[in-house]
Amino acid sequence: MGFPVSLRVDDEGIGEETADALFAWLREVDARFSPFRPDSEVCRYDRGELQLRDLSADLTEVLDLCEQYRVATGGAFDVRLPGRPLDPCAVVKGWSVQRAAELLTAAGARRFILNAGGDVVVAGGPWRVGIRHPEHADQLCTVLELTDGAVATSARYERGDHIVDGRTGTPATGLLSISVVAASLTEADATATAAFAMGPEGVDWAAARPGCEVFAVDAERRVRRTQGFPVATAVAA
Amino acid sequence: MKRVIPVLVLSVAGLIPVWRYEPSIGTTTTTTTTTEAVSTPTPTATSSSPSSSSSGSSSTPSTSSKKVVQGTAINTDKGTVQVQVTFEGDKISAVSMLQQPNHPQTTAAVPVLIEETLKAQSSKIDTVSGATITSDAYVQSLQAAIDAKGA
Repeated sequence: MGFPVSLRVDDEGIGEETADALFAWLREVDARFSPFRPDSEVCRYDRGELQLRDLSADLTEVLDLCEQYRVATGGAFDVRLPGRPLDPCAVVKGWSVQRAAELLTAAGARRFILNAGGDVVVAGGPWRVGIRHPEHADQLCTVLELTDGAVATSARYERGDHIVDGRTGTPATGLLSISVVAASLTEADATATAAFAMGPEGVDWAAARPGCEVFAVDAERRVRRTQGFPVATAVAA
Repeated sequence: MKRVIPVLVLSVAGLIPVWRYEPSIGTTTTTTTTTEAVSTPTPTATSSSPSSSSSGSSSTPSTSSKKVVQGTAINTDKGTVQVQVTFEGDKISAVSMLQQPNHPQTTAAVPVLIEETLKAQSSKIDTVSGATITSDAYVQSLQAAIDAKGA
């Protein structure tokens, strides 16, 4: 997978060892769940070397989540696309970074920002979280205020048409970007990716999910957002 | 082998309540909201008072007395609830909902989406959410600038 992880902890007494444990966990996740490492649990399961009953509780949980989102999206979100290796990355990322945030909380951290490749978990805010503009890398399209919770964004601008609509087998192009705010990053990230795969109708689908707030930009550059999306008030310059 | 039998009996016994169970969901959803309402008489205009001062013990209270009572509207975190109860004599003959919340369990919530035009802005922020950023893109990203400032 490979993405930069930024961590800011404002609590006194949270030392380097907590950050080390967090990064060790994320490296462990990469080794176990990467579809690009032939010796990962995911690849071994995909090749039939492991049976379902042999899987770790973690991978079983991840695959259960994948199945829930596949069913909820009518097959638009699918980690088993025909002719492709099993790729649960879309769920693994949010799930593992949420776990990492829970490591921080367990260590006593109360005020932090964890940003893993643009997916964000915060605690003890209010924090101002910018949403990257889908067309201008150095600009924002909105700013939200988040005290405790998570926000994830799915878009085409960086990795191109990499999210496939499982119903058609073709890349999803109906949206430029979609951001989802939820209580956990597990929910926010999977919902954002699944909604992106669905296209414009995914905006309504995500908005109807309990506890999710949505900010989406469609291919015509129109913004559609939920009323409850926590847009920050402007700060006096 | 002997152990198998009681287990089977137990599991069959356990199924019976499941067979008998009838989900009550149907009844709650079928109570359609009546915004007609209010045409009913107020609770004060109640039962015909036994005006005839005569006959003592034998007179039963008139069974024809119909009384419609509207409950107070209660605001819950799911919405406003108000019921209307119809009494015939001492018995409740009908209950209807004058107001009920649009809760997802009864009706699918329709999210209200706001439409806006796409704007570009820069602002003071603590972090940036964006699509899965690669290490190359990170170098030039706003998040990298925030991290550099904090370091």
